[in-house]
Amino acid sequence: MHVQTYAPMFMLFVAATAIATLFFTLATVLGPSKPSAEKSLPFECGSDSDGAQHVRLSVKFYLTAILFVVFDIESVFVYPWAIQFRSLGWMGLASMMGFLLVILVGLVYAWKKGALEWET
Amino acid sequence: MMPSILALMPMLVIGFGALALMLAEVLTDAKTGLAVGTAVVLFTAAAFACAGWMVGPENLGDAAVFAPWLVFDRFTLFFEVLLALSGALAALVAGGYLREHGIDRGEFYAILSFSTLGAMMLAAAGDVLMLFVGLETMSIGAYALAGFRRGSPKSAEGALKYFLLGSFAAALMMFGFALLYGATGHTDLAGLHNALASESLRSPSIVIALALVLAGLAFKVSAVPFHMWTPDAYEGAPTPATAFMAASVKAGGFAVLLRVLLTVFGDERSASWATGWPPVVALLAVLTMTVANLVAGRQESIKRMLAYSSIAHAGYLLVGVVAAIRAPAQAQSAVLFYLATYSVSTIGAFAALVLCGSRGAEVVSYEDLAGLGRRHPAVALPFAFFILSLAGMPPMAGFFGKWFVFKAAMDAGLHGLTVIAFINSVIAAYYYLKVFVFLYMREPAAGAPIAKPMWSGEVVTAIALCAFFVLLLGLAPGAVLDAALAVGGAG
Amino acid sequence: MIPVEHYIALSSILFTIGGIGFLARRNMILLLVSIEVMLNAVNLALVAFNRARPETHAGQMLSFFLIAAEAAELAIGLAIVLAVYRLKKTVRVDDANLLRH
Repeated sequence: MHVQTYAPMFMLFVAATAIATLFFTLATVLGPSKPSAEKSLPFECGSDSDGAQHVRLSVKFYLTAILFVVFDIESVFVYPWAIQFRSLGWMGLASMMGFLLVILVGLVYAWKKGALEWET
Repeated sequence: MMPSILALMPMLVIGFGALALMLAEVLTDAKTGLAVGTAVVLFTAAAFACAGWMVGPENLGDAAVFAPWLVFDRFTLFFEVLLALSGALAALVAGGYLREHGIDRGEFYAILSFSTLGAMMLAAAGDVLMLFVGLETMSIGAYALAGFRRGSPKSAEGALKYFLLGSFAAALMMFGFALLYGATGHTDLAGLHNALASESLRSPSIVIALALVLAGLAFKVSAVPFHMWTPDAYEGAPTPATAFMAASVKAGGFAVLLRVLLTVFGDERSASWATGWPPVVALLAVLTMTVANLVAGRQESIKRMLAYSSIAHAGYLLVGVVAAIRAPAQAQSAVLFYLATYSVSTIGAFAALVLCGSRGAEVVSYEDLAGLGRRHPAVALPFAFFILSLAGMPPMAGFFGKWFVFKAAMDAGLHGLTVIAFINSVIAAYYYLKVFVFLYMREPAAGAPIAKPMWSGEVVTAIALCAFFVLLLGLAPGAVLDAALAVGGAG
Repeated sequence: MIPVEHYIALSSILFTIGGIGFLARRNMILLLVSIEVMLNAVNLALVAFNRARPETHAGQMLSFFLIAAEAAELAIGLAIVLAVYRLKKTVRVDDANLLRH
């Protein structure tokens, strides 16, 4: 267990930079680039693709996704608390209730702001 | 239990106050009271921090239960008062500005309060964990404020650059701290200091970590060459948000810079001129002052000029930070005093700028200021007043701020650095005086759009308070200077 | 047991890839992804170092908070990118040039 021996790490720093740069350059310099109409078509398991290339997604999806990510990730704190529920005792419970209260205020805020409305 | 609650009170007040502001915004239709409500919350927090100062952190013995996460010393309390006041003043300016410009959406005040809370946590952080949480709370709020004018491409672009570079900087800094954790096994700042001081760790990872942390912090205080986001974010943001970023976010950045450099990297080897960070920070200071002052003179936009001016002020502050290696107490208190003078001057300047224009007739460039001194002396005078303070003219606050920092640098034997800083403050006079030329000696070109002043009780209150503090710090700096010295003495 | 150096090497490589991606890429979404890669490299380093020093949980705790703050940061970042996209109909940072002087 030699945490202090970092020499290989720095070599890797250098190597990673060099390799990444090398590949970027090689790909652009050496890569044969002969685009044709056929090649530029998106490949969809052999069947002809149709429709617009960029499907317009409703902005509602982004909003919901952002809200989901934020509230979902908060569970990262709840899980270790649940594992240690007994040993943390009343202080742990009180802290977690305080945390959930703050989350709840956020939820009420998002709700009242209309961020959870799908049909508007 | 009581004293420990008192130590925590400023943060509790702001945290719960901000939650209440959020609920008040959506559950009631109290639109107009939010700015004043925010100011009341933040002034209350400042009052509690003052109370904590009076009692004395040494009597807040129970506050040690928050160790090592939060440290409640005089350093923390000084920044709590400063940040709460800056936040309150910015909120008052926002009250008038947002209404006038038709972007009166209540979330501004909650975000501003949370961001202030983050800056306080940053100043109080005694552990990398709290440091990071505070930094993110402050920065995420600041990104949102910078992009607050959703319909404006400039605002969105400024926010984008600020966000991308800010999170990149945070990632650099955290990798630095992760390396330090790997080398020492500590995430608390005091533990890191002891480990770096006692074990003769000569691992190159410490140097890499120092460089990464320093780069991350330099981004946050917008030191050259990490300043690219500053002019864009400052110009694009609504003016009260710019004032907040220039004062509170910068103060938070310097709080953590001082704490990290003087605590974690305060050991003899890291803080020595030959083997540590001082020459690097000195180079940053020289670059920051010189580049910012030279570029500021070439700006057409007033807000960009003020943005470069704020970068230049960061340069002077960095001179003070370097001086802290030889005269820690004196230089640190000089930096704190400078931050106080700079905060009130810059918020005052932005507040006066808000008052100079109205919707559709904002002051954007120097040209818009032409003849304002003759047409509307009542709004031109405050702007001129705060510009004088930023320029460092006696008897304004800005003069004494510079005076103490330069004196500390001289006493620390940094003669070259002091001379460069002095020359820079002379160069800076050029673009500050240009404001006066346009205000009082030019007439607008025929047919050019002219700025029409607005009226707002909140903005006028903010300006009056800023002017009071500028004169107080300029004519009677004793009380605040003693406070700053008490911080240095204790720390 | 895999030695800690291997984790740190992986973390350094990830961090470098993220950093290069951030500097080389011009698509805003990919810049966000690069930042996430860098922060997750930090997480990996913290957890690996913690495994080497099992007497405390400092590194693991820090990485929990990092994950949560990352999510909040990503949310605000996506919102900002979306605002830029709506106004300019592009996700390339080169096209964000209004403020250049």
